Amino acid sequence: MAASINCWKCLSRPSIAVIQLSSRVARVAASAPFSSTSTNLALPAPTRKAASTTKGVKTNLKINKKPRPKESRKPPATGERKALRKRIVLSNTNALEVAGMEDLSPEIVDAIAKDTAEGEAGSGLVGKVVGLPGATVDSLRAIEAFKTTQGWGLFRRPGTLIRKETADLTRALLAAQKEKSTLTLMLDGAKGTGKSMMLLQAQASAFAKSWIVLHIPEAQELSNGVNDYAPIPGSDLWAQPTYTAEWLAKIGKANNEILKTLKMKNTHNLPVPIEKDITLARFCELGSRDPDIAWSFFQAFWTELNLPGRPPVLLTLDGMSYIMGMSEYRDTDNKFIHCHNLALVKHFADHISGTSKLANGGAIIGSTSRSHNPISLSMDLAIYQALQRQAKQEITQKDPFEKKYDERATKALQNASAMMIGGLTKKESRGLMEYWAASGVLRQRVDEQTVAERWALAGHGVAAEIQRGALRMRI
Amino acid sequence: MKGSWLPISLRETLQCAYSPRPLTSCRQQALNIRPRQFTTASRKQAIAAPEINFRDRRDRDPGRGGWEREREIGYQGGGEEQSAFVARLLPVSPSYFTAQPLFTDDFLVLQNLMTKHSGLPCVKPGEHPRVAWRSLSEYRDRVGETVKAAKYHKIVEILVRLNKIHPSVRPEEVQTALDQYKRNIDPFKNEQKTAQVDSLGRTLGAGRRKSATARAWLVEGTGEVLVNGKSLADAFGRVHDRESVIWALKATNRIDKYNVWALSMGGGTTGQAEALTLAVGKALMAHEPALKPALRRAGCLTRDPKRVERKKPGHVKARKMPAWVKR
Repeated sequence: MAASINCWKCLSRPSIAVIQLSSRVARVAASAPFSSTSTNLALPAPTRKAASTTKGVKTNLKINKKPRPKESRKPPATGERKALRKRIVLSNTNALEVAGMEDLSPEIVDAIAKDTAEGEAGSGLVGKVVGLPGATVDSLRAIEAFKTTQGWGLFRRPGTLIRKETADLTRALLAAQKEKSTLTLMLDGAKGTGKSMMLLQAQASAFAKSWIVLHIPEAQELSNGVNDYAPIPGSDLWAQPTYTAEWLAKIGKANNEILKTLKMKNTHNLPVPIEKDITLARFCELGSRDPDIAWSFFQAFWTELNLPGRPPVLLTLDGMSYIMGMSEYRDTDNKFIHCHNLALVKHFADHISGTSKLANGGAIIGSTSRSHNPISLSMDLAIYQALQRQAKQEITQKDPFEKKYDERATKALQNASAMMIGGLTKKESRGLMEYWAASGVLRQRVDEQTVAERWALAGHGVAAEIQRGALRMRI
Repeated sequence: MKGSWLPISLRETLQCAYSPRPLTSCRQQALNIRPRQFTTASRKQAIAAPEINFRDRRDRDPGRGGWEREREIGYQGGGEEQSAFVARLLPVSPSYFTAQPLFTDDFLVLQNLMTKHSGLPCVKPGEHPRVAWRSLSEYRDRVGETVKAAKYHKIVEILVRLNKIHPSVRPEEVQTALDQYKRNIDPFKNEQKTAQVDSLGRTLGAGRRKSATARAWLVEGTGEVLVNGKSLADAFGRVHDRESVIWALKATNRIDKYNVWALSMGGGTTGQAEALTLAVGKALMAHEPALKPALRRAGCLTRDPKRVERKKPGHVKARKMPAWVKR
């Protein structure tokens, strides 16, 4: 190797000529350090022609990758795949009509409420599947009470199993209606036990009993930053205009039958003038037209609902743990906004905490979600404490060394009662499986043996697991 | 351990290692290099002719056989005090000239015993105590000779006959001879413990699969199952695994008759589930022993011995080889 300057491993010293040359080069470079004039003025370098290819010699050694195959068909339109994913199918014309299935009429709701009050020998509806009448189905569909995972598309028409918890809840709802009191309830239970279904049953009963039902089907849509938001002037709250407008539209559509019979009584301070004596249905429709006015309209609507002589109200929310901490929204200081500073969430939190009451009676029900949900220690503790309070046991205090409790969540949930939903009993499982068999979906004998097996395999009658084992895993 | 084909010196070591108890206590084993062919002296009462009084014989017997004459020569200078001077080593047993002298000695000892005690009363057929005799390879290692199976079978036949002598009248020498041929560990003493229903009505069964172990307690009940304190759906995500756990109950139509409370640890989910199959099966058999054939048919009583195959050098895994590369 020649003794170059850069060769630091080489022991031979560089010759003087090399040192002199290198220092001269350095001096020239130092005189015009950033000048690019000469390079700009210089002629463009002649484009080098491709190396002369001798015959039979491959010059390009790079292995060309196959290009991705072009899609021959048109990609699905925007939103098409999501629509397919979220599609709710409520009917299967191949399934058999179940003879003798009763509809969830107001009388049946009363019968269900009476059922466990009289013990096992009541009307006998516990453990039976009750159909949902068409009007109720439309309303439930409007408030997005049906979920894709609940297997509605397997049966001829929507039906729901009446279980002991349903009877308890129905009874509590009817008592709230009778006494014009506000029922605040948290529903909890393991994954697949039917918490959302219990909400749906409460809503169905409420529709049957001519209540006004407001439902937030996915609480995470309120808090995970997918909707637009704007500060409400004069408060530290934030409105979610588009969501509120859509929600008002849903409320108006779902409760149309009742709302179109109710007229506005008071005059409200609204940003836009409205006609006098319009129905509440029309009012909802107006409010849903412009997202900017939706929140004011919702407030006015809520005031109207609480006037004397109005029907009871059911306000429900699914996936409570999403709204028990910080949201994904940021305020003007670029800090996260607490969920309870979002106007809609605060509305729910105020009611479930009991600080705001429903003047005409009704219920506020929040249900937890146990699949892919954030952990809210405050909510879990509140539910646990409520259950212990109801069972008159010693109440567990919060862990003094735990820092992840949320004060506002604790405050919001401390007065609510709780209902723990477990697996179905064997009698209920049997009722459900007999309904499946009658629908022609379950082609198997339903006897004690099979029921016991399904019940045990489903972890003591977890409804979704029974369905998974009996209906989905068949093939 | 087969050692018949080893050199004698190695056989010695092997025998020391594998035989805490000598086959024949009378056999001389003091020397390091065992002079096998010359050490039957103490057994010759049983085998060979009675000990020779040389002085008498010298006087009396003119026509003597070869090896005795040689012995006589050996003692010629000794005189009365029987000094240790030996001109030539002599075989003590006449079996020395057979192909398997030790075997022949053993065989003759037993045969003599049989003829001697053939008149003793026997137990009823099938009532004699079950004995596991030493195996052929074990016997070969003991004696260090190439004994054929058929030959050893003759010994065993005699042993079986001797074993039929009624224990109450069995002579001491027969018993010692039998004991010498018994295996060190009596496999027939190993009786399987049967699980019992305890005072609270529970039975315990244990099972293993892969590297998982499981215990299951079974009580009469309504079909509730708890595995490690969790319900079946919480403990196992796969429906197949859940079915494995209660397979013993399902195969016998008893899902709603018993409650299971089980603990499982080690291994993965499949291992734990199938270890539980075994545990529940055994616990159920304790409740209802009559179910044994049904459970056996359902595969709830057989331990699956398969384990993870070990990795080999030169392989990526147990069998997988690295990709072939040209040079």
